[in-house]
Amino acid sequence: MRNLPPERAKWMRLRMGILCGILAIGLGGFVSSAYRVQVEDGPAWRETALNQRNRRLHVEPKRGSVYDRNGASLAISVEVPSVTVDVVELLRGVEKPDLQAELIRDASVRLAAALKLDANEVQAKLTSKRRFIWLKRRIPGDEAAQIRVLGDPKAQAPGQKAIKGLSIDGEGKRYYPGRELLGPVLGFVAPDGEGKDGLELSMNEELRGHLEEMHGIRDRAGRMIFSEGATDEQALAGHDVHLAIDEGIQHVVERELDIAQRTYETKGAMLVVMDPMTGEVLSLASTPGYNPNDYGDSEVEARRDRVISDRFEPGSVMKVFTFSAALAAGSLKPTEQIYCEKGTYKLANVTIHDTHVSEWLAPTQILAKSSNIGTLKIALNLGEPGLYSAFRRFGFGEATGLPLPGEAQGVLRPKGRPWFEVETANASFGQGISVTTMQLAVAMSAIANGGKLMEPILVRKITDARGNVVREWPPHVRREAVPAHVAKMMSEMLTAVVEEGGTGVEAAMNGYRVAGKTATAQKADPATGKYSEDKYTASFVGFVPAEKPRLVVAVVLDEPMIGRYGGDLAGPLFRRVAESSLRYLGVPPSNAQPHIGQVSRTNDPADLALATLKPKKLADPPTENTMMGPPPPNTVRVPDASGLAARDAVRAVGSVGLVPEIEGTGKLVRQNPQPGSPVPKGSSVRLVFEPAS
Amino acid sequence: MNLRNVRRAAPVEAVKNLVSAPLEARPNEEASQRPVDLVLAATVVALIGFGVVMVYSASTVQGTTQHHDAQFFLKRQGSFAIVALALFFLTSVIDYHRLYKLTYPVLGSVGVLLVMCVAGLGHSGGGATRWLSVGPVHIQPAELAKLALVSWLSYSLSKKAEKVKTFTVGFLPHLLVAGVFVVLCMKQPDFGSAVVLLLLTFTMLFVAGAKVGYILGATIMGSGFAVLSIVSKSYRYARYLAWMDMDAHRQDLAYQPFQSVMSFGSGGTFGLGIGRGLQTLYLPEAHNDFVAAIVGEELGFVGVLALCAVFFTLVARGVRAALRAPDDYGSFLAFGISAMFGIQAVLNLSVALAILPTKGLTLPFISYGGSSLIMNALAAGVLLNVSRQGEKKAIYETPAPPEVASRRAEPEEGEGMDEPLLDAPSYEGAE
Repeated sequence: MRNLPPERAKWMRLRMGILCGILAIGLGGFVSSAYRVQVEDGPAWRETALNQRNRRLHVEPKRGSVYDRNGASLAISVEVPSVTVDVVELLRGVEKPDLQAELIRDASVRLAAALKLDANEVQAKLTSKRRFIWLKRRIPGDEAAQIRVLGDPKAQAPGQKAIKGLSIDGEGKRYYPGRELLGPVLGFVAPDGEGKDGLELSMNEELRGHLEEMHGIRDRAGRMIFSEGATDEQALAGHDVHLAIDEGIQHVVERELDIAQRTYETKGAMLVVMDPMTGEVLSLASTPGYNPNDYGDSEVEARRDRVISDRFEPGSVMKVFTFSAALAAGSLKPTEQIYCEKGTYKLANVTIHDTHVSEWLAPTQILAKSSNIGTLKIALNLGEPGLYSAFRRFGFGEATGLPLPGEAQGVLRPKGRPWFEVETANASFGQGISVTTMQLAVAMSAIANGGKLMEPILVRKITDARGNVVREWPPHVRREAVPAHVAKMMSEMLTAVVEEGGTGVEAAMNGYRVAGKTATAQKADPATGKYSEDKYTASFVGFVPAEKPRLVVAVVLDEPMIGRYGGDLAGPLFRRVAESSLRYLGVPPSNAQPHIGQVSRTNDPADLALATLKPKKLADPPTENTMMGPPPPNTVRVPDASGLAARDAVRAVGSVGLVPEIEGTGKLVRQNPQPGSPVPKGSSVRLVFEPAS
Repeated sequence: MNLRNVRRAAPVEAVKNLVSAPLEARPNEEASQRPVDLVLAATVVALIGFGVVMVYSASTVQGTTQHHDAQFFLKRQGSFAIVALALFFLTSVIDYHRLYKLTYPVLGSVGVLLVMCVAGLGHSGGGATRWLSVGPVHIQPAELAKLALVSWLSYSLSKKAEKVKTFTVGFLPHLLVAGVFVVLCMKQPDFGSAVVLLLLTFTMLFVAGAKVGYILGATIMGSGFAVLSIVSKSYRYARYLAWMDMDAHRQDLAYQPFQSVMSFGSGGTFGLGIGRGLQTLYLPEAHNDFVAAIVGEELGFVGVLALCAVFFTLVARGVRAALRAPDDYGSFLAFGISAMFGIQAVLNLSVALAILPTKGLTLPFISYGGSSLIMNALAAGVLLNVSRQGEKKAIYETPAPPEVASRRAEPEEGEGMDEPLLDAPSYEGAE
């Protein structure tokens, strides 16, 4: 500007100075702002930025599977697709609010149609414009395919645009291929991935695997850019649990229990199949069961594992252990004769009855006829401490230690003090104490295997995802319950129970010798505190083959409405389960001819139910007859005496050559065997009378 | 740097004379002998080099995701930088007076390019039509328009001299031409360039001596026009609202400025180090309009301060050249170019720090983009040439000892020591 007049040049310099000043102020404003943002608020912003990009990925490890002893899957985890949407991505490139709203409306309608959702709800979700929205979790495959089509720009009809921002992620879902099979034992897994019941709960730590936290950085579109650490899925995955359960036997057991439950209208039914030599639990079932795939639909009551959680007064089964104790202690000689007081014995102020009136009986007969009086005499001879400690040695009053939640220990001394004489007597035939089905099975296994109380094994081993064994449960003897020779002797005595004249004839089977004990225990009525007249626990616990036991089966029926006696109700169940299982396991029938060749079982309603449900599946012995058929030779049908007074009833029964056994007074309310059942001539019929109310 | 004004043969000399004819000030015969302003040249070269580094650092993510080549933007910006540096030095040796004759052809062709852009021949990107495709080259006419307008305003203002103060001759024509450019930019739409053009016009009118009242009036009108254009376009209004309430819109409309501020902040005082910034994952166009955010993240407040200092130096040296220019045309050119750098830098930085609402504006020399870089380098070359002509040989400044004594005796001889000495001969020519 040297060509300008000085005055103008001066003004220009001044104006330039003013403008430079303004610019400098602007720059200064920026610098002070930068100071505030960077130096003063820097750490806070850095934190925000870190939170934005750092993603702690919770890598959900694959939950381990549960297998049966042969490797069949009982519980597995499957990947199920879930749909998420990033609305910011969906709206990318559309800036006008009205166009955005239109796009959201259009996308909502199409997504709702594909996912079978309500379009308005989808629209409400999308309108929040969040970067991560679950649209629908755990969708079936066809819906996932439709979502893929919606998101694929090449697959669109003309005029339609692909929906951006959709993604399909896999989420783990627990699946139980056997549905109801072993339901209460397996339990279920809540949506948060935690086991909530059964094995899923007790083995949760092992099954769940290591919840790995991985650090990564994600970009604007939510993609992981890189992540630290190797993702060795197998190292993170949960362990597999291998059960001792045999799926095949479990199938048989659950089918039979279901039939029994419906036939006898029981409140509940429990059944355990064990290998007495190893203590392995081959089957463990109770009704009612539930399907853990839809655990939400089931009653909490149904999810209970009643085999271990329900305790009850076992009744006569305990006589086995009373006898064992007395034999082991030497207070009972196998050849001894005991006077059974003709069926009525007064102890202190309590009168004890026997079902079968007898006088002098050998121990084997006491067992076979299930004489309470004979048993209590043996027990009192042995003494309270001896009986109590014997029961303890058989594992009663302590948890069996199965890895399942909610196991009951049972109570031997409910008052917490040694039994009085009457209590000892009661305990000897299983009243006044409580046990679980599992305890009975374990204790009976000790008789079967030569006196060793085995640790019951439900889980055989745990392996990691690569198949390496993490932990194993080899057979383990907890203690010697009784000496081997006593156990052997007991086994022999127990075979008499299922022989002719015993209470457990219904449990006998062709080709295999059965040893076992029936029980029909009165249930205490919680309302009155006394024993209920019509509520029973019918059970049968036994093993087979008696000479070389392969299976121990404990059957407990809780409050059957039809029938009452353990021999009649639980016996057939035992037989069918044991028979199927032995056949399944390929155990050859023994060469010895069955001790009972011709036992009529036509009075067993369960057979009929089974016949209609599963025709000809189980090839039943040719001796089976239907109720309507002519009675076999030397048998007669039990007459129907219901409603008759005692005298008429006795006459009616006696007239066909049967021996009546009378209980109570008044009108006949129950009789056993059931009316119409064919029974051998000369057998006794139990008649129960009650005063008319 | 031994660049000199090239002396040409006779025909060129004739053209030069023709070009410079209306000017009262002739180009300095000695100008070719003088060195360039080394500080200015170094500043420009440093900024271009730094820009290539920052573009690389900021663009690796986008390059990888969009072009499967982390160096995609580096290669392009590197090529642009080489061309820009070559043009920078080439322009600096061409006497700026030669631009004089080219003013209208340049202004006209840039106007045509802008019209072509608006007329639908442009190449769209990011919701705006700002580019013209010439074969493989995309040019951004708005970037050309800035330099063209500055050169035309310098020409016109220096020619009109004292008449600048009048409304019809001095004020209105400039505003109309600038207004046409501004409207064409708005049509693209390129709000940022429009604002810069308007500010440049006012700046130069103010410096040339236009009445402050006119400028204020025009500013008020311009602001009204700006408000109208913001309110009339719903997306602009929404962006403005988002800027006003950034926290509420950090996921949608204010996403970019929010991420930009976060980027600055996470750099802290000393930054994360070059190439270590991670906000490029989140900041869209990080290598472009928001490259300053990446500078803030990777070099921290110290780096931002240094960058500001460099821009300050650039503008200061430019204004110094304007003050020392041999004629008012040179002064206007130098000041206009300096203001162009300064205004764009301050606006861009303020947008990056969310002090101002988002508008498309590049950071001169740093941001990715060929048109912007090359046009800025050309402008810097012109500025360098002006700076070269403003200085005088030391021989003029060396007074004889007795004269020094006599001058000291006269106190009324100027407030500065150097200025009167330097400028004295020119005044005589002008008067």
